[in-house]
Amino acid sequence: MSSDSGLLPIAEGLVERARAGEELEAFVTHSRNFEVKAFEGGVESLSSAEPRGAGVRLITESRPGFAYTTDLTDEGLSELVEEARTNATFSTPDEAVGLAPEWDEPPADVPGLLDLGQLEVTPERKVEFVLELERETREADPRIRTVEDSVYADAISEVAIATTAGIRGGFTQSDAWCYSVAIATDGDDTEVGFEFDLARGLAGLDADTTGKRSAARALDVLGAQKIPSARMPVVLDRYTAGQFLGVIAGALTGEAVQKGRSLFAGRLDTLVASEKLTLWDDGRVEGAPGSGPWDAEGVPTQRTEVIQNGALRSFLYDVTSARREGRRASTGNASRAGFKSAPGPAPSNLAFETTGESRADLLKGAGRAFLVQDFHGVHSGANAVTGDFSVGATGRLLHDGAPGQPVKEVTIALPMLEILRGVVAVADDRRWLPFGGSLGGATTLIAEMTIAGS
Amino acid sequence: MLDEGVIKAVLTEALATGGEMSEIFVEDKASTVLRLDDSRIEDVSSGRDRGAGIRVFAGERTSYAYTNVLAEESLLDAARAARAGLDGEPGAVTADLRRPEGLPSHPVGRPPEDTDKAEKVAVLQAADESARASGGEVRQVVATLMDTRQKVLIASSDGRIAEDDRTRVRFAAQVVASRDGEIATGFEAPGHSGGMELLDRFPAAELGAKAAGKAIRMLDARPSPAGQFPVVLGPGQGGVLIHEACGHGLEADTLVKKASVYADRHGERFGSEDVTIVDDGSDIGAWGSFGVDDEGTPAQRTVLFDRGVLVGHMSDLRSAAKIEHPPTGNGRRQSYAHLPIVRMTNTYLLPGPDDPEEILRSVERGVYAAAFAGGEVNPATGNFVFGMSEAYLIENGEITHPIRGATLIGNGPQVLGAIDAVGFDFDRKEGVCGKDGQHAPVCNGMPTVLLGTMTVGGTEA
Repeated sequence: MSSDSGLLPIAEGLVERARAGEELEAFVTHSRNFEVKAFEGGVESLSSAEPRGAGVRLITESRPGFAYTTDLTDEGLSELVEEARTNATFSTPDEAVGLAPEWDEPPADVPGLLDLGQLEVTPERKVEFVLELERETREADPRIRTVEDSVYADAISEVAIATTAGIRGGFTQSDAWCYSVAIATDGDDTEVGFEFDLARGLAGLDADTTGKRSAARALDVLGAQKIPSARMPVVLDRYTAGQFLGVIAGALTGEAVQKGRSLFAGRLDTLVASEKLTLWDDGRVEGAPGSGPWDAEGVPTQRTEVIQNGALRSFLYDVTSARREGRRASTGNASRAGFKSAPGPAPSNLAFETTGESRADLLKGAGRAFLVQDFHGVHSGANAVTGDFSVGATGRLLHDGAPGQPVKEVTIALPMLEILRGVVAVADDRRWLPFGGSLGGATTLIAEMTIAGS
Repeated sequence: MLDEGVIKAVLTEALATGGEMSEIFVEDKASTVLRLDDSRIEDVSSGRDRGAGIRVFAGERTSYAYTNVLAEESLLDAARAARAGLDGEPGAVTADLRRPEGLPSHPVGRPPEDTDKAEKVAVLQAADESARASGGEVRQVVATLMDTRQKVLIASSDGRIAEDDRTRVRFAAQVVASRDGEIATGFEAPGHSGGMELLDRFPAAELGAKAAGKAIRMLDARPSPAGQFPVVLGPGQGGVLIHEACGHGLEADTLVKKASVYADRHGERFGSEDVTIVDDGSDIGAWGSFGVDDEGTPAQRTVLFDRGVLVGHMSDLRSAAKIEHPPTGNGRRQSYAHLPIVRMTNTYLLPGPDDPEEILRSVERGVYAAAFAGGEVNPATGNFVFGMSEAYLIENGEITHPIRGATLIGNGPQVLGAIDAVGFDFDRKEGVCGKDGQHAPVCNGMPTVLLGTMTVGGTEA
């Protein structure tokens, strides 16, 4: 858990600039990024960089101010603190605003955040990898007309935090990911398929499987048609189950509830879902993208049961939203989009607990159902404040567990709470999806939804 | 922003081991955001982001490296990183860098950086107060005032050099209302390329009340019917449909990769004589406008569909070279940390001959879409889905009940053919478009439009 490029001293230097009576939190990042894209057997583009920057939250007389900069010179850092100090004078005093308390002992590491082998992977190997990904996607089937995108990217990211409350910490993590987008054509019909892979390093990625799956996701829905409007059971695959989790994620924070922006407001300790459903958040899952020893405010990460057997048990808190409810403690759910953003509450790794079935058994039990392989328009058709859910879908009709007729251009709709109450089973095939957070998608059976087609 | 001597040294270094062209993009961006939430000014943030990206074209390959340290040595390091892997003969840098003339200029009346933050705070409070005064149903108000000033410099080894100074201001009000367990939201967010005078055109109090009115009206919404209906798109926000269903498929990068439903179809008729669609990055003061794009190409107006016929496309340098057309000034990047890609600017379906009220009266039973929450389209197939955030039933030519959970689902080329009437009114809405992980300010505009038959998704089968 060391920070070897001098980030912590920069963070400490920012803290030393705080005046008496001021609280200050300094967050400094440095990353090494690489990305390569391939197209039609060649390299299309390569990009590399080492961006760094610092963000400062300064609280004076209960007023918070925030500023960021990419200028890490002495002068730049002094200007940064001065800017945050000025900004603080314009915010409304809020007793709930505060910094994380000092650690009794340093938070335990999450094993495996840094793949040391990744430091040795050459750009040539990365190029070779993306070319293989592109080739596997393109050659998976003669109906693959083109591979629109094939991408390999990685980042080695260091973060450091220091606060006037006494927190001092830093850690380094590595991430590598890849994806390809396949376009399949058969006659007049064209469909698009997307698949990705995610690991701590290139060694954990599989170009062959990812490419073939991208192709399969396009090929699977060739010949898709509208079906007549109906109500029927719906199966979300791992991908669409993750998308659905992403929608409700925004409604699960204490802040959303306090501010009347959550469909779960006022429902604590009531049944909000099927008794088969348990939903948890855990910032310490090994191998999951949202893991770390502490959150964006320096609070040690933890596991929180959000929904237990259908009953809503807890929301997710950062320091401010926790303090707003009196003596409550943060659940370690502060998050930030890099040094340019002030921390705010968000899930870390959010997932439905499996009900134990394999995917195959779940599909068999679904009978005649609609297997949803892709949602369209989730960010517009789903509203975590009102609970409205009405989105476009592509997928296949299931007959006795076997995927049949491909379906497209239909809308599926049901209020979100009714979707949660309708969950019949969650399979044991969870994977982590980095869709604006870290979401554990597993094949999920929902008793019945409205499908609007022809 | 940078000395021409340094620029030439960097461009030369980037071509030292081969490649046809090198380019530097320098950015200095200052941003301020003030956010009111729960009647408190919760967030006052400001930041400074400076950096440069260096691009080398070598055959089919583009390499890029960026740094956020603008010292000459760091820029030279980035140039060396960008050319890594090349081992050819040094490329030439033109001695004579030329600036384009007659660029569109977007006036800044009152520069945001000269405006006291206390005045900005007062704007947010005015929106909060007016929203809350609109009705006891208002539960929550979030008001956000954002301003950015982005100075850019682009120079290339083939002699382009251009600078741009872009000030943008956007003001957003989001209101949550509830009554008897029902919850609804309202959202308004105008923006422009210009200064604080935006608030003269859109006074904060009016904006807050407008967003609140919408949220309160939607509390009475019934579940949307599902099925096939005529759909009337209200002026302005229906433009997102044009953006998603027609615009993305005419970005030349998707055309080059044959990933667009419009590929190889120029000259084909898609809509009636009344359907003319343009993308115009030179529209003075519009949210998606600029002087030059992020590759130094002057902003311009590009006709995409001329009286129903597909005639145009949008391109950046690389895709323009591939299709052997001049670039259209649509090469944009989120920041120096990103490679430019083809993006829309301000995309408009131009006004037509029809009376908007007559359009409404012509519909016996249908859906009126007053506002969309956003949408999504697959450029390869043209399939799209849009969620309506404010929609009403049309019964016997009149707007009657608000409906909730309505989505519009269909296909881009088909929807152009479904346009049966085009109003003579016009409005525009500002937004942020995401593509390949990059965000860009874009504006969509259109008049009132009648779509003959569309699939509407809803919860009432």
